[in-house]
Amino acid sequence: MDLAGESTARREAWRRRVLSLAAAVAVAFVGLLGQLWYLQVLEGGKLQELSEKNRIRIRPVAAPRGILFDRNGLALVDNRPAFTLSLIPREMDDRDTVLARLSVLLKIPMRELEEALERVPPESFRPVRVRRGLTLEEVTKVEERKLELPGVVVEVEPQRVYPTSTFAAHLLGYVREVSDEQMKQGRYRRGDMIGQSGLERMLDEYLRGRDGGERIEVDALGRPVQVMRREEPDPGAQVITTVDRRIQEAAERAMAGRAGAVVVMDPRNGDVLALTSSPAFALDRLTGNLEKEDWLKVVRDPLTPLMNRALQSQYAPGSVFKVIVAAAGLQEGSLTPMDRTYCNGEFHLGRWTFKDWKEGGHGHVDTRAALVQSCNIFFYQSGLKVGPAAIARYALDFGLGAPTGVDLGGERPGLVPFLDGRRRGDGRGWQAGDTVNMSIGQGQLLVTPMQVARMMAAVANGGVLWRPRLVQRVERVDGTFAYSSSSKMTGRVDLSPVVWAFLRQALSGVVNEGGTGAAARIPGVDVAGKTGTAQTVAKSSSAKGQDHAWFASFAPAHDAEVVVVVLVERGGKGGQVAAPIARQVYQAIFLEKVAMVSLGGDG
Amino acid sequence: MLRVDRRLLKNVDWPLLGAAFAIVLLGLVCLSSLGLGRGGSGLAWRQLMWVGVGAMALLAVVTFDYRSLVRAAPALYLLGVGLLVTVFVLGRTVSGARRWIHLGPLTFQPSELFKVIFILTLAWALTWRRAPQQTSRGTLGWIIALIAVPFALVVRQPDLGTALVLLPVLGAVLLGVGVRLRILGALAAAGVALMPLAWLALKPYQRDRLFVYLDPFRDPLGAAYNVIQAKIAIGSGQLLGKGISGATQSRLAFLPERHTDFIFAVFAETWGFVGCLVLILAYGVLIVRGFEIAVGTREARGRIIALGVTALFAAQTLINLGMVTGLLPVVGIPLPLMSYGGSSMVVSFMALGLLLSVRMRQFQ
Repeated sequence: MDLAGESTARREAWRRRVLSLAAAVAVAFVGLLGQLWYLQVLEGGKLQELSEKNRIRIRPVAAPRGILFDRNGLALVDNRPAFTLSLIPREMDDRDTVLARLSVLLKIPMRELEEALERVPPESFRPVRVRRGLTLEEVTKVEERKLELPGVVVEVEPQRVYPTSTFAAHLLGYVREVSDEQMKQGRYRRGDMIGQSGLERMLDEYLRGRDGGERIEVDALGRPVQVMRREEPDPGAQVITTVDRRIQEAAERAMAGRAGAVVVMDPRNGDVLALTSSPAFALDRLTGNLEKEDWLKVVRDPLTPLMNRALQSQYAPGSVFKVIVAAAGLQEGSLTPMDRTYCNGEFHLGRWTFKDWKEGGHGHVDTRAALVQSCNIFFYQSGLKVGPAAIARYALDFGLGAPTGVDLGGERPGLVPFLDGRRRGDGRGWQAGDTVNMSIGQGQLLVTPMQVARMMAAVANGGVLWRPRLVQRVERVDGTFAYSSSSKMTGRVDLSPVVWAFLRQALSGVVNEGGTGAAARIPGVDVAGKTGTAQTVAKSSSAKGQDHAWFASFAPAHDAEVVVVVLVERGGKGGQVAAPIARQVYQAIFLEKVAMVSLGGDG
Repeated sequence: MLRVDRRLLKNVDWPLLGAAFAIVLLGLVCLSSLGLGRGGSGLAWRQLMWVGVGAMALLAVVTFDYRSLVRAAPALYLLGVGLLVTVFVLGRTVSGARRWIHLGPLTFQPSELFKVIFILTLAWALTWRRAPQQTSRGTLGWIIALIAVPFALVVRQPDLGTALVLLPVLGAVLLGVGVRLRILGALAAAGVALMPLAWLALKPYQRDRLFVYLDPFRDPLGAAYNVIQAKIAIGSGQLLGKGISGATQSRLAFLPERHTDFIFAVFAETWGFVGCLVLILAYGVLIVRGFEIAVGTREARGRIIALGVTALFAAQTLINLGMVTGLLPVVGIPLPLMSYGGSSMVVSFMALGLLLSVRMRQFQ
């Protein structure tokens, strides 16, 4: 470029523009110097004095955590004020003495106090919480010796309180201080209480709210002189769940002392009315002060109370699966209601012998009777007729082998073998014996109680697969919705209406016509269901190898309002163990109807 | 390549270099005073190492003719954008922002490096059709498009500080090359109008963080506390300062960022108003020399680089000091040449290198 050619006028214009920019910068610098003059010379003396005895204390004001309600507006969990013991590292001049005194006074191990302080810089001005839920007595002790305990403060914070220690534990989940691991995500502050499992965790962002804080000036003794500024906390949003507290309580009562799960669902929209896993963990203990040993005890418990068996455990469905074999056969035409067989208790395939659960067999059975009495021999034969491909396809159609998408984390997908139409779950070739096993829900089939509930809901409502819904909406304090969800259909099973009617009628027979589910019979309510007894392999001597008991049901049989699925781990026979539990749940649900019948009403 | 022309050496801008090293020295003293009573002054040593790296980077930049760097600008631009994208893939999250890339034991902040690339890109884009005076609307639009991509990436990290520094640099350069104020105003208005879009892309907790940036009192435990304490520290320095051993306010307690973004508070408490005058004088010399170089350069690319670098230094210094003294909301911007931090130090030296390079080749 020919630089000499640049005109003087252009150079002058450039010069002028650059100089005006420089002038703007100069003005800004003068303003800056003015502010420095103001701070350091005019205000200097005052600020100097402030710095001498500068004891501005920051007091966090914790936001109350949002409350979870059931579908009728009853609280599932609530808050109450609790005392928290905190240390302000910066104000602890003689740290070891103060910690030693505190340790003796409240019988807190010295190690615990030191550990809490090690995680923050030694001159931090923010209170470090060391213990929550102090008793009134402990608070008094600390307040009385306040002068000897510089840097020790007691704050009042809202804390979770639960109706009972284990109520809906897996559903709600527990709340604990953010862990070192979670701190790395960068979205929490040390000492934040966050949901660690269940809905508390899934909805933590809504429930947590935003902490406020107070900046207070204190004198040398730590007494507040004035509140310089206060920022009110934003309370967390409220969650309206689909759960019915009454049904949830009934389900938990019915499961007391057993290991297993109960899922109650509305087949008309997929709302989860109750979800319990047993044994449950103690919410209040996990949320409060927990010693390491106690925590390890919970984690190492062979009964795994932290696991949500309704979605995180997979079981063979046992005879519950016969519903799918029957549906596949009837719809595909390989099975008709008129098919009959003679069951003598044994079935031979090559050199293998498969037995019925009933010694001596059921005698003559047709399709309906085979379902009602859960005849294995009939289904061994039917399974071979229907074929593994059709059975697997219908199983997938009914939502098995895939997570249901319920609003809780950690859901397992289950397993429908016969992969790519020829392999078993373990990759080995498919044998006719595998088909026989699958026909009665054994072999490599795996399902979760939640999947079975969705499947039964589809039988009850004529084929609609719902995404199980746990949360109706999340409401902010000002009444606006932070989140709301409507029922979502995730699939549809197309069977002829005749087949649906047949299935429902047969399942009603299971309970009401002396079938295997007779123990679930309730006068006044037409319960329909299918029992299942899933054989377990005794892998170790400690697990006795008793069978898992299933009862998957809905009621009323022809206009279902509710699905109840019960699984009892190593409970024995489904009809003897699981069905009576379902009965208790139905009694709670249909309280009025049951009462009317027993009073001689017309039901 | 390292054969430096004798005539070039004659044109080294010693006042500029002197001012820069004076600032660096004051910063090192400040950092080592922070180490007192805390067992060693590792910060100052590490910073000194970065100064060494920076000086080498400066030499490297100076040996190149800046015009060849401008020619390489498209490649550098792609590299810079690539690095910014890499941050999202491999980056390490520190207090909610992804700004750093790990290189073995070191971390590296691509958004810092992009400041220099940004200036080179501007110089290239404004001159590649030869006549910078005729900045048509088309050229302007194409520059905006060129800059929008990396800008969005930086905002998304979120590194609001860097984004905020790039804007005045862009504004100064565009004003310098003769874009009318009216058009710049329209552009600014359009930018403001587009803000809600960016807003939608942020996660709730990121929005919260932005709120705190804009209004520190939203987070009474965090930023606002820093500002108050910084004010007390600065003010308590009074006219002559408390000296290294007396500056308890800043050495003890308060800010997590006292060695980085808030280092000026430490300095002001230690050396008082008089010390601040000296420091600001040093920045003043640096910036005034920068403007002089810009005025004295006749070659178009050199002018834009000189003006851009000067604007970068001025904007960073003013925004940082304004924030520490409580005149501006708290945004994460380091004080150039003084705040602790490798990326910032090295990049500042590279920018200085560009300025020197333009000055040395002014009369070629």
